Formats: sequence, C-alpha cells, structure tokens
Amino acid sequence: MGQERFADVVDRFTRGYEAAEVSPEVLKRWQEELERSQARMKNFARMMTDPVEPRTGQTPRQEVYKKNKSRLYRYESTRTGSTPLLFVPNLGISRPYIFDLLPGGSFVEHMTKQGFDFYLLDWGVFGPEDNDLTVEDCVTKILPRMAAKVLESSGASELSVLGYCMGAPISACFVATHPEVPVKNFIDMAGPIDFAKVGLFGLWLDPRFFDVDRFVDTIGAIPADMVKAGFKLLKPTMDLSTSLNLWWNLWNDKYVEGFSALNRWANEYVAFPSEFFRQWVRDFYQGNKLYTGELRMGGRPVHLSRITCPVLVVGAKEDYIAPPECVKALLGAVGSREKEYVELPGGHISLIAGRGAAVHCWPKVSGWLAPRS
Amino acid sequence: MDTTATSQQLFDLWKRQIDEGTQAWARVMTEAGASASRIDPATFWRPLMDQGISTWARVMSQGPASPDLMTQWKQFLDQWIEAWSKALGQAMGTEAFAQSLGKYLDQWLVAQGPAKKAGEQSMEAMLQSLGLPSRAQVTGVARQLVELEERLERLEDAIAALLKQKDGKESP
Repeated sequence: MGQERFADVVDRFTRGYEAAEVSPEVLKRWQEELERSQARMKNFARMMTDPVEPRTGQTPRQEVYKKNKSRLYRYESTRTGSTPLLFVPNLGISRPYIFDLLPGGSFVEHMTKQGFDFYLLDWGVFGPEDNDLTVEDCVTKILPRMAAKVLESSGASELSVLGYCMGAPISACFVATHPEVPVKNFIDMAGPIDFAKVGLFGLWLDPRFFDVDRFVDTIGAIPADMVKAGFKLLKPTMDLSTSLNLWWNLWNDKYVEGFSALNRWANEYVAFPSEFFRQWVRDFYQGNKLYTGELRMGGRPVHLSRITCPVLVVGAKEDYIAPPECVKALLGAVGSREKEYVELPGGHISLIAGRGAAVHCWPKVSGWLAPRS
Repeated sequence: MDTTATSQQLFDLWKRQIDEGTQAWARVMTEAGASASRIDPATFWRPLMDQGISTWARVMSQGPASPDLMTQWKQFLDQWIEAWSKALGQAMGTEAFAQSLGKYLDQWLVAQGPAKKAGEQSMEAMLQSLGLPSRAQVTGVARQLVELEERLERLEDAIAALLKQKDGKESP
C-alpha cells in the first residue's frame, strides 16, 4: 500500500469524523473505553514493576502419605458423602495446583464444598534418581498404596477414582489389574485411551519418525524445557492469542489476577523420568497397547473390560491433546453396565480449570458422582 | 444507511478472505514440497493485504468512529490468529512435517550425545579434583534411599498382614 493511499485513508477518516454528529451514547462509550485504556496502562505498569505472586492452592489440606516424591493430600471438607474420591492427575508435564488455582476458581474447592472426601495424588517433581520409574511402577506400586491409604485414613470400605489427562489411562490400568481394590466409581476426564486417534502427538511420536529408545538413551530424563517446547508446538499461536486477550482484558483486575495464576502454571513444566517416558511413548502412543489389550502390568494383562464399576467419561470439544474420539473409546472398552459419555465445551485445560469449567464440567462431575457416593 | 450492518458485512468478507487465503497458502506450501522455499510470500499475500487495508479504510471512513471499531479490530485479530492456527495445524499434521521434525531431533541427538558425555566427564573430573561428590554419586545415594523406603514399606505390609492374621485367629 503506497503513501498516497494511506494519506487518503487518514483524510477520509478525520473528515468523516468531524462531519458527523456524535450521539451521547457513543460519547459515553468512548468515555468508558478511555477509562479502560487508563486501567490497562495502570495494570500493565503494575505487572511490570510490582508483580504480585499469585496465591494458588489455597484450599486447606493435610498430607496423609508420602512415597518418594509422591504425596497424597486430603482436603478439608464437610464429608457428607461416604465414599472418598482419589484424584489422579498427569505425571510430570505440569504441577497439579491447576486443580486448586484460586478461591472461587478451583475444582478441588468445588468438590469439597459439595461434600466429597477429596484426595489428590501429587506425583511430585522427579530428579535423576527417579529415572528408573516406569508406568508399571506407578500402576503396581504407587497407586495401590495410595488407594490403601485413602481407605485407611477415611475409614471407608470403597473409593472412587477420577483420572485426568494421563492420570486417566494410568488409573484405568490400575483399576483393571487390581480387582481386589474396592473401586466403586471411575471417572475419565480428558484421558486418552485409543491412541490411534490422539492427534498430532500420535503422528510426531510415530516409530517411523521418532526413535524413543535412542532419544532416552542419549538424553536420559526429558527436561522440563523440552516438554514445554513439545506442548507449545501443538498450538504455536497460543501465546499470541493469550497476549492479545490479556491486553484486551487488562483493565479488569479479576482477569489480571486469574491470568497471573494461570500464566504461572502454564510456564511451570516438570521433567519426565526417562524410563517412564520410554514406556509411555512405546506402549501407549506407538503401540496403542492399552486399547488393543496387549498391555501387561506387574505380570497381569490389562484388559479394560475388567472395569465393571459405573464409569463416567468426560471429553472436551476443542481438546487437541486428547481429542474427544480418543477419550470416548473408553466407553466401548469397559465391561461396566452403567456408563456415560459427555462432551463439554472447552479445551484440554479449560475443561477442568476456568470460568467455563465451573459452569459446565464441575457440576456435571459432582452431580454424577454424588448419588453414587 | 446502517453503518453497523455494512461494517459487519465488510468484516465478514475480510474473515472469509483470511480463511480462504490461509487454506490456499497451506495447499501451495504442501504441494510445492521441496521447492517451497523458492516461493515468494509477498507475491501471494500482497494483493490480499492491499484489499484488506482498503476494506478497513472504507469501514473507518463510513461514519463517526465508535468504540465498536475497537471490538471489531480485536475480533479481526482473533480471526487472523485462528486462521493461521488452523493453517499451521494442517501443515504440522502431515507426515512430511513429522518426518522433518524427526530428522531435526535426530541431528540434535547426534550433536547432543557427545557434548553431554564430554560435559559430564569434565564436571566429574573437576568435582573429583575438588574432593566433592559427583552427580552420579549423589544420585546413587538418592536411589539407595528410595530402595530403602521400598523395603521398609514391604516390611510394614508384611507386619500388617501378620497382625491381621493374628487378629483373625484370636477373634472367636
């Protein structure tokens, strides 16, 4: 576009503006827009010069048990339900305080206010001494012990298990291979099951293009920065979109508070232990062994059909990490008579955290679980 | 003349142009394959951008500027980002991309492997000369602690099982 055309544009704009009358309604809205711009500049300056550390994870809790880096937390609750709930999030990748982000915006807070006896398994942050930890260890050593501690500390005879993201296939393996553990209900939230439909990660980790053994043997544990780069590559425009939305809503103090908390979590990645990554990629992403029934854990075959308790599967419409069809596959694989699939608005994270989650997901999950607890 | 309706029509037209433009660009790049680097992006995108700027010039000069323009500008940027996100997603969802990503990682490993080993060896030698424990030694101690914890837990389980058995025998 040449200089002449730009001058024409400016000329037409200013002449058009001067010639027309401006209504009081428009003036009022311009006034509001000006005030918002001032608030934006004020909040921007404060974020740059005096950033406030967001206070996340504020729902009161108690550490019930620890095993190496893993911690089992029990949250304060009215405990009107008799069946405790064990929440199994993803191992590595990110920290679990996303589920208890801020007061009024916390899945944990919602569930405890609904009266659930809520336990969270925090896998922890792993070091080089944990490089021998495998998926099998999580399923056969850590989860059984965590479930036992939940029953012991709550005094209950049964428990419900809720797996989110990677925590869902791991806990599904646990439930399927440990019939002696009294699991009353099982919920899969955005947890991939049929890895043939898992989207971009499935393609990039295809054995034709990615040699997981060579990768792990060379670099050992997968560094947090590399995990971050992988997830950022899934949606390269995410940071741009986030920055644009931040600028647009920078006048809103509540938005800024939420953004600070979420932004801190979104940039705090956790490394993968090397053997865990090897097994996770080889058996789940490349071999799809969980869905095909070829997986073995602790000498026991993992057959999802052995899950016979009531099952709720929750998929997110815009999830590009665990697409809905990949998550929904659990429904056809379990042996439960009572099973339900719901597909809710949102992406992988916004399914469980954020304003949309509070409206769509949390009430659905607590509403399904309450009469079964 | 209802300027809001006209602005919306122009805005919708621009959104459609962006969508179709990015789809076409993605197709061109995929079909071009190895010769994609010789394609001049400016030749492809200049007519679209010129048309877009003149579209917006018409919108801005149609009447008095209003705060709606700010909202529409934000929407325009959202649509632009969304369109590029879709195009990039399609490009990254091809086997060609997966293959080049795999090749890049392979090359990185080729460089990283010896560099990592050399770095570890020199660090170990330096720590040894200073009389300090190496990373491997500290990790080894940590591993032993983890194994000890495992053994203690197995002992606890065995004791609990024995007590349970004893309680079972004692109760009538």
